[in-house]
Amino acid sequence: MATEVKPAGFRNPWLALAVSVACVTIYELLLKRGAAATANPSSSWSWTGLSGLGSIYVWIAIVFVILSLITWLYVLRYLPLSIAFPISQAVHVLVPLGSWLILGENIITLRWIGIAFVSLGLAVVARPVARIEEEL
Amino acid sequence: MTGVALFIVLVALVCHTAGQVFLKHAMASTHTAAGFRSRAVLFPFAIGIVLMTTQFFLNLGLLQRYDLSFIYPFQGLGVIIITFIAGVTLREKLTLQLVAGSALISVGVVLVSMT
Repeated sequence: MATEVKPAGFRNPWLALAVSVACVTIYELLLKRGAAATANPSSSWSWTGLSGLGSIYVWIAIVFVILSLITWLYVLRYLPLSIAFPISQAVHVLVPLGSWLILGENIITLRWIGIAFVSLGLAVVARPVARIEEEL
Repeated sequence: MTGVALFIVLVALVCHTAGQVFLKHAMASTHTAAGFRSRAVLFPFAIGIVLMTTQFFLNLGLLQRYDLSFIYPFQGLGVIIITFIAGVTLREKLTLQLVAGSALISVGVVLVSMT
């Protein structure tokens, strides 16, 4: 597929990727808070998640997920999916950490090990990408 | 986790993976097609948005029953799947380091999701 020269500065797709990851992290934390506030497991429609729309947190989360989608689409315009998607998985480090620090959820030792694996994987994926960017 | 919940997690995973591939295909087509209004962009874009929206509501339903730190990482299994599918369907170059890194991320995500 044809590609264009990657824009620099604020239009740099790598910066857009970082913004997208931050937006997804905020979205997930807000979504959980909204979902918890509107949870009604006894309802037969509860699996659809539609009752969550009754929470302001869910609506703010939707704003963030739209922002993340816009920035992600911009990222996809310039970066290969096979590189951008693994790097976007930094959310799997940031979301559990946010769940622990902000929502007060418990993180067991196994999860900490998992977070370490994800971080190591991110470093492995990002290293050759950083080298390529330096050469350009 | 019940069988129904596991099924919904899997459906959400498939929607997420397919949605990402369709969106990438649409955005990559903007370089060659005649603008965003081109059918080559709009058609895969619309499919991608429908799939991602479906995944969103399934995820919301799951979050009403389980902790965020438990449910969310299941989506991470899509990392290695998406990396491979991007290589096959979008003909992106897959290096050993990229596959190894994606596999490490997927293993890490599974570990994060275990209780």
